[in-house]
Amino acid sequence: MNRGPFIFIGVLIIVSLSWALTLVKPIQEAGNLQAIGIGNDRIPARLTGLAEQGRDVYQEQGCVNCHTQQTLALVGSDIERGWGERQSMPLDYIDQSPVFTGTNRVGPDLANVGVRRGEANWHYLHFYNPQITSAGSNMPPFDFLFETREIVGEPSDRALELPEGFRPAEGFEVVPTRDADALVAYMLGLSQAYEIEEAPTPEKLAFK
Amino acid sequence: MNLICNLFSSFFPNLESDGTHREREQNIDASVRFAVLGLIKGSVVWLLVVSLLGLIVSLKLHSPSYLSEYGWLTYGKAYPAFWNALVYGWLFNAGLACVAWIVARLGGRPIGNGGLLIIASGAWNIAVIIGLFGIFKGDQNPYRMLEFPVYVAPFLFAAFIGIGLWILLAFKARAYRSSFASQWYALAGVFSFLWIFTVAQVMIFCLPAQGVFQSVVAAWFGGNLLGLVVAPFAFAVIYYIIPKVLGQHIIGYGQSGIAFWSWILFASCSGLASLVNGPFPAWVASVGVVASFGLFLPLSVFTMQFVSSFLASFSRVWDTISARFAFYAVVAFIVSTVLLILGSLRGVQEVTQFSQFNDGVRYLFLVGFAGMAFTGMIYYMLPRLLNKELPNSSLADLQFWVQGLGIFTITVSLVAGGYAHGALLNGSDADTIAILFNTKGYLFLTSLGSVIFAFGNFAYAVSFVWILLSPRTEKEKSADLIKSAPELEYTHS
Repeated sequence: MNRGPFIFIGVLIIVSLSWALTLVKPIQEAGNLQAIGIGNDRIPARLTGLAEQGRDVYQEQGCVNCHTQQTLALVGSDIERGWGERQSMPLDYIDQSPVFTGTNRVGPDLANVGVRRGEANWHYLHFYNPQITSAGSNMPPFDFLFETREIVGEPSDRALELPEGFRPAEGFEVVPTRDADALVAYMLGLSQAYEIEEAPTPEKLAFK
Repeated sequence: MNLICNLFSSFFPNLESDGTHREREQNIDASVRFAVLGLIKGSVVWLLVVSLLGLIVSLKLHSPSYLSEYGWLTYGKAYPAFWNALVYGWLFNAGLACVAWIVARLGGRPIGNGGLLIIASGAWNIAVIIGLFGIFKGDQNPYRMLEFPVYVAPFLFAAFIGIGLWILLAFKARAYRSSFASQWYALAGVFSFLWIFTVAQVMIFCLPAQGVFQSVVAAWFGGNLLGLVVAPFAFAVIYYIIPKVLGQHIIGYGQSGIAFWSWILFASCSGLASLVNGPFPAWVASVGVVASFGLFLPLSVFTMQFVSSFLASFSRVWDTISARFAFYAVVAFIVSTVLLILGSLRGVQEVTQFSQFNDGVRYLFLVGFAGMAFTGMIYYMLPRLLNKELPNSSLADLQFWVQGLGIFTITVSLVAGGYAHGALLNGSDADTIAILFNTKGYLFLTSLGSVIFAFGNFAYAVSFVWILLSPRTEKEKSADLIKSAPELEYTHS
């Protein structure tokens, strides 16, 4: 124990073993999955171009620090909450880099948010100020993804229809920026609502 | 004959001829003064940044409109900024300062290459600053403790190589052939960081693994950063403080080797336990759970050694500020490791998964254990580096109690609040807003703890600047008031 090289080699062997066993081996075993099917039947489903840009906004804003994107069927109450129909599987994530599986649920899981909240307007209002759609939420407002501008001539048809108390001053309107559009497209595209045979569901688990 | 003697002593300098024990210590201190003081200054500044960010993060969690007009400071950016500043800013600066000084002191010889350590630690801090700006700008990665943008990684890596090389050279230059547990941990921390950081960067960003396996690599890295880098630096400090500051040989020192190797072995996989139940290969998470349970072995050796050594000289623990910090650190280490092990149990994870429980355990481990150990060590180093006594020891006393209370409050609120939150989140189908309503009390408590902790850190900063700027008194100039450190580290019992 008195020599540096001894400690160096010992630590290197142990950490390398951990690396080989817990990282290299599973990646060799299961880290080369292929999508099933093509076109609209492709599993996992592909995101549209705008939604892909929304992924970047999602990453920039650090949404992953409060929202996971993984539905659990084996334990917990995700299925009862309607956050998903089945367990999320590695196959769901093969197109994604980086992945937003996340570790914290300050807010709800978003793996299937596009299925559960399919209405774009809801998301626009929710991002502008979460208190409009979910009073009492501790999600911060993302009003900096919107532009509040003076109405010149005709009001924009893209302007948000804000309820009383959230409206800008008279003669002004709130219009989403491209980032907001992309983020909403991404929210609408988030879905794991296709069947994967091996994925545990409540029904399959009941027969076990 | 004289020539031969001179030649011989130039290769093997005789320690006794270098003056008294205390003079040798002063020479060593002088050789590392500038670089180590630089790292300590960095750590204090980072701690103030961390207190501010921690306060903002905890306030935003119950008052979402607080500072919401600043898009660059939204919760999703402030939260990773807080954790990264805490680990890479505060703990790395403080830990490397302690470790560099300990390796130099235990080596028994003045260390050259000061320029390398100064440049490398400066580069490290610049890289961390760029990383934080990257997060605020929107370039963060979605992986815990790897949030710094990809373009910062090479700089972090290069800077750490410089620091690590210095520590390695300082170890190589030691006058004694034997080595002490503190030195093992110092080396282990340096080696591990280079290895795990390379693995994480390559497997996630350079040659990205497919899909969810990036998350597996990130979980591995996150666990190892705590267990194989920050914790070893803190162990090095505790192993040093007990014999040198408390003047108490380590009871059961003969078992240190078992503790060392079993800690490295089990800690190297324990981070994977957080993957349980998710869309990851189940057996990988199981390896993590088993490894977490393995931590009971090193934990029990550490507990026997540290607690019995502290109890053997307990009356002195309260008189010596450094030893008191170290004692707090040891208690925090035991509690957080027990929580870590219990938290990896499947039954507990079913409740606590995705809640703040894990943040609380992490916080206690990083701040209560490592942070307090480093602070205690810095209070031992400062008078020796500056040849001054602590001008106001009651301020340091106050700091100890306030910081200790702050850490306790934050840990309790995160762990208990996380458990309550998780029980509703994973065990019922209650609405998330209703759950928030039920656990809001804990969120306020976290903010209260952050305020207390920030006050403690402010006291620390004042105390630090005070000793830095205060002129040396006549008494300090005329006589050396510092006793040389006892050489108890190799005493077996």
